[in-house]
Amino acid sequence: MSAYAVQGEDGFTQPQPPATGFTEEQALEHIDALYRTALRLTRNPADAEDLVQETYLRAFRFRDRFAAGSNLRAWLFKILTNASISRFRHTSRESGDSSLDEMEESDLYARVAGDSGRGESAEDELLNAVLDVDVRQAIEDLPEPFRLAVVLSDVEGFSYKEIADMLDVPLGTVMSRLFRGRRILRKRLTDAARSTAA
Amino acid sequence: MDCNEIQARLEQFVDRELSTDEAAEVQDHLDRCPPCVHIYHFETSMRRLVRRACCESAPESLRAKILEAGR
Repeated sequence: MSAYAVQGEDGFTQPQPPATGFTEEQALEHIDALYRTALRLTRNPADAEDLVQETYLRAFRFRDRFAAGSNLRAWLFKILTNASISRFRHTSRESGDSSLDEMEESDLYARVAGDSGRGESAEDELLNAVLDVDVRQAIEDLPEPFRLAVVLSDVEGFSYKEIADMLDVPLGTVMSRLFRGRRILRKRLTDAARSTAA
Repeated sequence: MDCNEIQARLEQFVDRELSTDEAAEVQDHLDRCPPCVHIYHFETSMRRLVRRACCESAPESLRAKILEAGR
């Protein structure tokens, strides 16, 4: 979690050090977003609370590394994801390179598009039938690197670049995790929608 | 761009990650291609569904604990 704050845009330390820090109130504005992300990562409320608390403790401890005016939300998420990765590294055996490539998304799209006679809202109606609890389950079943990318993009709205900076991975890696994660999710949600409709 | 090329860019389009020119090209295609519009709608519905499902608030007790620890 270094370097986020102290470098100028040209990559050199600025001659005039920027003002640093933030208030507790400013940091706590993001607690709901951090908590729901922690829930998806840990899959249970007690661990999610621990993770969020740890995130804030680290944030307060390293407060002077945060350049005032930069993106506090992204900075807090970077701390959260780092804390999560180091905390759960020993339990995670999910490489993310499972047999996903075998999945046929064109088939899925074909079936969805096949309902086109019923008008544009057909797929919306289909998906709307999926219960929130099933959506959360589908997300939580994703391998961890995919899950993180999907949550950071689809729920929290971070850009690819912000996610890449957060996770210290290349932009292409973010896109690949995101697209593969969504591909699995698409399949799971469509299956869920079908079984609900059936 | 043909339908395959458009569909390969739809996620980035929905994510607002395409260049202005590319986004305009995708938009232009969507204006006249119902099958691609369908996939576009499906993508946006997925995002909406995921956001709708993930909207928990942190417990008040957690907020208090953090404030306490921050002092």
